Amino acid sequence: MSSQSPPALACRDVSVRYGDVAALSGVSVEFAPGLIHAVVGQNGAGKTTFARVAAGLVRPTAGTVEIAGQAIRTGHVRDSRAAGVELVHQSFALPPSFTIVEAMEFGAAGRGGFYSRKGLADKWRAHLAGLDIQVDPSRRIRDLPVETQQSIEIARALITDAKVLILDEPTAVLSPAGIETLFARVRRLKERGVTVILILHKIREVLGIADTITVLRGGRRIEGPVPAADLGAERLAALIIGDAARASEDRDALVGKGRPLAEPTAGQPGLAGRSPVLSMTAVTTAPDSEGAPLHDVGLIVRPGEVVGIAGVEGNGQKTLVRAIANLAALSGGTIALDGQDVTARSLAARRGAGLRIIPFERNVEGLSLTSSLWENWSARELLEGPLLKPVHPSRIRALCDRSLKDWGVHYHSPAQRAGSLSGGNAQKVILAREVDSDARLIIAAQPTRGLDIGATAFVWDSLRAARDRGAAILLISSDLDELFDISDRVVVMLSGRIAGEFAAPYDIQSVGAAMTGAGHAATGA
Amino acid sequence: MNDIVIAILRSGTPLVYVTLAGVIAQRAGVWNLGLEGLMIIGACATILGIMLTQSFVAAILIASLLCIAASVLLWFVIEKLKANPIIAGLGLTGLGIGGTALAVESIFGSQATVTAPFGVPRLGPAFGDYGVLSIFVAAMPFVVFAMWLLLRRSRFGLQLAASGEHPFAARGVGIEPARMRLVALAIGGVLCAIGGAELAGGSLQFFAQGMTAGRGFMAFAAVIFGASHPIGATLAAFFFAIAGALGIRAQLMFGDKVPHDLLQALPYLATIFGVWLSGKLGAANTAGAFGELKDQ
Repeated sequence: MSSQSPPALACRDVSVRYGDVAALSGVSVEFAPGLIHAVVGQNGAGKTTFARVAAGLVRPTAGTVEIAGQAIRTGHVRDSRAAGVELVHQSFALPPSFTIVEAMEFGAAGRGGFYSRKGLADKWRAHLAGLDIQVDPSRRIRDLPVETQQSIEIARALITDAKVLILDEPTAVLSPAGIETLFARVRRLKERGVTVILILHKIREVLGIADTITVLRGGRRIEGPVPAADLGAERLAALIIGDAARASEDRDALVGKGRPLAEPTAGQPGLAGRSPVLSMTAVTTAPDSEGAPLHDVGLIVRPGEVVGIAGVEGNGQKTLVRAIANLAALSGGTIALDGQDVTARSLAARRGAGLRIIPFERNVEGLSLTSSLWENWSARELLEGPLLKPVHPSRIRALCDRSLKDWGVHYHSPAQRAGSLSGGNAQKVILAREVDSDARLIIAAQPTRGLDIGATAFVWDSLRAARDRGAAILLISSDLDELFDISDRVVVMLSGRIAGEFAAPYDIQSVGAAMTGAGHAATGA
Repeated sequence: MNDIVIAILRSGTPLVYVTLAGVIAQRAGVWNLGLEGLMIIGACATILGIMLTQSFVAAILIASLLCIAASVLLWFVIEKLKANPIIAGLGLTGLGIGGTALAVESIFGSQATVTAPFGVPRLGPAFGDYGVLSIFVAAMPFVVFAMWLLLRRSRFGLQLAASGEHPFAARGVGIEPARMRLVALAIGGVLCAIGGAELAGGSLQFFAQGMTAGRGFMAFAAVIFGASHPIGATLAAFFFAIAGALGIRAQLMFGDKVPHDLLQALPYLATIFGVWLSGKLGAANTAGAFGELKDQ
């Protein structure tokens, strides 16, 4: 690498403010051409904002962006793309109803004009083949598995002669094998001379692929780009987290060191003998539009046990939760809570039996953002009793106030709207509602997604505490480190079936193989 | 046989033009419930324009400009003032129905029907029985084809669909969804003006208050029934037109034996049936949240 050539991408004193919140403050950074760069930091560190500034999607309040030594107009996607910067978004950004070739075509350079279906397929077949993407180009985006969707997104980003490719959290939705494929692809792009900027938050992955590392924290550049070889995992974790109070514990979690459980529950005598809280036998759901149906799912969760559900997203995890919550129609099988058959019972009755759910989408299913905190909190109580039961708002407000204080929610009044809370605080409100002393089975669906490390640790501790009180926990997560860290058993789902069951110590290879269906006899340990 | 085909073409053509306006708006992400209002503005402006200028071309230009202006107003309210598109569309419909009545009242001092000296030019005797049809009927297949080409076989159509379906994806490649919606609504304005002109001047040559009588909403239903595809929606519009024509036939045949109101309600019943059917077939699932402009 010659030090003479200008940086592939350079930001100078870039600041982005959203109202009173500074997403980026005075970030200056230069990325040398032809390398794989990693930008790391916690949630809320400003990584995505940085990527969007470079791609022209966000106009910075101050500062300039240079591409290959040339300053570009900020906040103009066309200018950024013309200069060779392409961004692949964290949650994929292709219209679901488009076919693969249409997704290539709609953002292509030039005037376009009219096309025929066949002409379009011919035009892009070579491009896809050049990237080793073997897929029928007339398939629709919504029908593709996430891994293929991501390859298509990368292929879309490379339709122009991209010189700088930014991937925002590309590993978040992938299986371990998918991550390997992605990284191999990234290395091939580097050989072709593309400068790749990966936005990541897992230290293991960062150290495995990056040539240089840049650390963001609280919207500021803390370090970098420094050669990855100069940074160890410990040092990098310290840079990412800073001097937070719970730093050492959190750091272990971030590095992926499973800390020993307070007591060895996995082999605990007597646990296997206790009657299960949740027992699903041969559950099959009717196909619907909301996700992969379940096929012959048998699952048992005992009291005092955390069972993790692993799997690439979209393999029936949501349907599993909906089936337990009576939101999906069963075509076969039974579901029992505490030995009591609840297959035909309503969700309210199941909640009465101790079912609690921390849902996938906290801002959609978990909270009504436009309602007040006490209304959100009281939802549990309002479900019980007859419809015309009188409600005492002042009593609920007082109870809610006490409960939220116990859970350490930062808020100023129970009457404030739930939408005004940060992600971590919003999740605490849901925990305060769902994790009560009557909880028998707590379903925690992606409970830490989008939370920073402090809030993540809080959620984990709450789930552990509930387990120690004797509740059964079903944890659904796409983060294998999280699952391995707090689950007593991990069950892998694939295409709506149970594809394997694992106990600690977990072997990431065999769990990964079960997630993609590579291993047939996937019942490890 | 000819006369029933002519009747269907006469009642179906205005509906097709307005349906195409709904299709292009829907592709861009706007469920346009202002179609009814735009159509009646087009009808009224055409008749008044002919009376004032004595020129058909000038009248259709005036109607188009007014409908574009009303569409731009709708765009402004949705896009800049962030109003709910459904409410804004219904507001535009109210503005159209009330505004045309006010215009007639203030010019002529009465609410009576306004008759123009001539209507939309006819095809003429060279077309035999079909010579009584207007030039817009003859142009209709070409317009449908052009819209199909534009929406389904051009880069512009893909960019429009991306703006409607996934505005964030569109912005990610440098398209401005707001601008695409403006273009789509403006084109829709011209189509509604033609639809209104055909309704008031195609076979008739007068404007009466409320003469669209829910055809804009029927066009909206055709957009849903036709899964927002230009050709599918055109067929849906004709399905409604055929139901209407058969209703009139049945009236002549059965006379007083079947209640007159029931037969008149046939196209509307067909509309409900069509929307129900499209829901059954899952055709309406093409777009995202009903009436919401989503962005990330």
